[in-house]
Amino acid sequence: MDSLRALARRVDALPLWVLPLALGVAVIFVPQALGDYSIQRQMQLSLILCLLVSGLNLSLGYAGELALGQVAMFAGGAYAAGLLSTYGHTDIVLQLLVAGLVAVAVGIITGVPGLRLNSWSLAMTSFFLVLLLPDVISIFKEETGGRNGLVTMHRGTLLGEPVKGDAYFVVIAVVTLLWFVVMRNIIVSRHGTALRVLKQSPVLAQSVGISVFRMKLLAYALGSVPAGLAGALFANLDLFLSPEAFSFTYATTILAASIVGGSASVYGAVVGAVILQFGLNQSSDYTRYSLVITGSFLLICGVLLPGGLASLARAGWRRLVGRREVDMAAVRALSTGLPKIAGQSLRVEQVTKSFGGNRALAEVDLEARPGRVTALIGPNGSGKTTLLNVVCGFYRPDAGAIHLGNVRIDRMAPHRVARAGVTRTFQTPNIPPGITVLEAVIAGRYMTRRVSMIEAVLRLPRFWRVRREDEVEAWRALDLVGIAETAYLEATSLPLGQRRLLEVARCLVARPGLLLLDEVASGLDEDEVARLRGLIRRVADAGATVLLVEHNFQLVLDLADEIVALAHGSVMARGTPEQIANDPRVLSEYLGVEPSRDDGEASVLSRLMSDSITGGDK
Amino acid sequence: MTLVLGALAVGAIYAIVAIGYNIVFISSKTFNFAQAQLMMVGAFVAYSGLVSWNLPWVVVLLIAGAIVAVVAGLEERIAVRPVRDPHNILVTTLGVSILLDGAAQLIWGTQPLTVPFVAGDRAINVLGGRAYPVELALIGLACLLVALIVLFTRRTKYGMALLAIAEDREAAQLRGINVRALAFAAFVASGLLAGFVGLFVGPATFAVSTLGASLALKGFVALAIGGFGSFPGALVGGIVVGLVEVGAARYLGGDFVHLMIFALLLLVLMLRPAGLFARAKERMV
Repeated sequence: MDSLRALARRVDALPLWVLPLALGVAVIFVPQALGDYSIQRQMQLSLILCLLVSGLNLSLGYAGELALGQVAMFAGGAYAAGLLSTYGHTDIVLQLLVAGLVAVAVGIITGVPGLRLNSWSLAMTSFFLVLLLPDVISIFKEETGGRNGLVTMHRGTLLGEPVKGDAYFVVIAVVTLLWFVVMRNIIVSRHGTALRVLKQSPVLAQSVGISVFRMKLLAYALGSVPAGLAGALFANLDLFLSPEAFSFTYATTILAASIVGGSASVYGAVVGAVILQFGLNQSSDYTRYSLVITGSFLLICGVLLPGGLASLARAGWRRLVGRREVDMAAVRALSTGLPKIAGQSLRVEQVTKSFGGNRALAEVDLEARPGRVTALIGPNGSGKTTLLNVVCGFYRPDAGAIHLGNVRIDRMAPHRVARAGVTRTFQTPNIPPGITVLEAVIAGRYMTRRVSMIEAVLRLPRFWRVRREDEVEAWRALDLVGIAETAYLEATSLPLGQRRLLEVARCLVARPGLLLLDEVASGLDEDEVARLRGLIRRVADAGATVLLVEHNFQLVLDLADEIVALAHGSVMARGTPEQIANDPRVLSEYLGVEPSRDDGEASVLSRLMSDSITGGDK
Repeated sequence: MTLVLGALAVGAIYAIVAIGYNIVFISSKTFNFAQAQLMMVGAFVAYSGLVSWNLPWVVVLLIAGAIVAVVAGLEERIAVRPVRDPHNILVTTLGVSILLDGAAQLIWGTQPLTVPFVAGDRAINVLGGRAYPVELALIGLACLLVALIVLFTRRTKYGMALLAIAEDREAAQLRGINVRALAFAAFVASGLLAGFVGLFVGPATFAVSTLGASLALKGFVALAIGGFGSFPGALVGGIVVGLVEVGAARYLGGDFVHLMIFALLLLVLMLRPAGLFARAKERMV
């Protein structure tokens, strides 16, 4: 067992892509090794299915959008290649290019409306495409051959030479391999992390500056590329196309392969595709039972094995390798203390927000300035969180204006507000499952330096540079909040207190203009609160604008430069901690202390006050 | 007029599918992909009952309702309740729908089966047009269903509990509403409805194993037009889809029917993503 673990660790230390790449290259040489025609054909069909499944994974597994239209894009690519070939353009590279573009066009046309409403809309609009296919093929009977099929294709060529037999197998294998390199490079980049964040929590995605609609559309449209490529490859395989190849049954096969292999994985597509292609096609009654089988696959895997075989394999591997330790000395070496943060002033002017007849905020004014901690207090339901949500752009105020620096942000979408420099933590820590602490922190850097998808796919120097910066910044932030030793753990497995600190780290890596902390101290133990208090003070001293929503009155009195007290949606009092602590309305509304019968209860507060001023731990 | 009546009847079917979606959606915020397949099973059972076993129609009505209600109840227990992630429910209910498609193919074959209608199949003159009794029955049934459901949700305790769940699940739970039991009941009710309706849908469309997919999509378009959660909206949406379908078939040709309905769906999603009868809600954090 120990030697196995040692071996596993050595393999784990290798770059993760070595094994799949070696396998992929090996597949290219299969025809030489295996003469058997039927196996070779099954493999070609498997590779084509791999491409289709991989495209679906990008949309279903990573963006969280069920799309059933892969078959339509597949058909689009196939008929595009078929027609090109019919008219004499037999060059396979050209066909692949056109097929990919056609598929992307189909993707965008269905994606833009389909992604506007909710997660079923895209499923349905893309499902509709499958139903439309026979009609469209029949409308263009002249060109497509209608139900009888397209029989006028010519043998595909590469650099003017006709490609057939083993050589064509190599073409299919190479195209598939190249796509998987692209796919893997997208997923293992900040875009891949952004997709995972988006799937688990659109709210969090927006608060780190990701546009939900654009990112989902990007994933869905990109996912149609391999479908188009697969279409062109399929068309040149038999030089014959008929509507039957693009049936509803095939659409369900693609989905089942994705679910079995694991939608949220790069290589799960290969496993799923091979299982469905080889496993099912061998059973003689396949066509009769195919719907029952794929239906059961979806049901069983969906209920019992939500992450597919990939998640099973991943969990097993992690158990084998064991826990990865953090090299704390290396982390310490990176730490440089807190750099300067260019805080921006926040001005909330006369903001009003109603929900139906309930006036949650009434003409609220508030100003938070760089280098200062401004605290927002008030009883439950007084409008604190509503105000944060208005500032972040999740709610649009009915009246009033909000400025960050000189920029007016109250009309902006949440992801634009985030890009303007607003970061926040959440009352209930918002941490997507399936990523490590380190990755969760890096997600916070999405809006800082932009790296395009192309740069990520081609692994251009800029990609590497930004990635290094991301990592260094994340390590520094983790060290600052004091949870660096947890960096390789799954982020959701942390206890509540550390999850809150993780959220603070995620905000810090963005060097925010404005830091909103929503009840960040609740659920923390005394040591953690003390550490947090020190941290917030240092962050403010470094120049950040901090707006703190907090129930821990002691912490507020210790930290805040100015306190704003809300009650019933309007500002009840504002001032220094001393002023607030002695404000009779605050005492009665917020602390439930009746000033008239003071001595007993009011002294609780004055004791709090004197504690914080003479303060043991300051 | 004959065309319009035909369109209304087709639209009524889609409206009924959309009503089924809505019943489940309101009670558990779940989209039941297999709703139309349940109706298809109802149509097949109606065929078996009326043609193969030659039973009286009241008995067939009860059998179809019971069988489909059981299927829907099983679906909720197996494919919905144990699944945590809402993304996954879409996959599992789709799995159920494909499973039902496949099972229907195995049991009843792939050929369309003619289901006779209780009140005969002699066309009668109505309002200056001609219509089959089943068409009139479908139109009446859809209107009646919407009226009953609206009354149910406004006047009865359980109806109001459903609306409360739709508004805020946790708050409803805190008020002592058994959310899980009601979600289950809603599935069973939608199954019961689908089973009963099979006796009306079957005669209008044939019982065929591809019926589910096509009804599912058009019912969804009806739902998108009317707005999620709105029953009168589902009726209006269904009728619009019916009119477009019959109009496209008459003036453009059969190949254009689905294309036009698809265009309608895209148009609605672009212009009024929340539908005609539902309010857009602000995002919550």
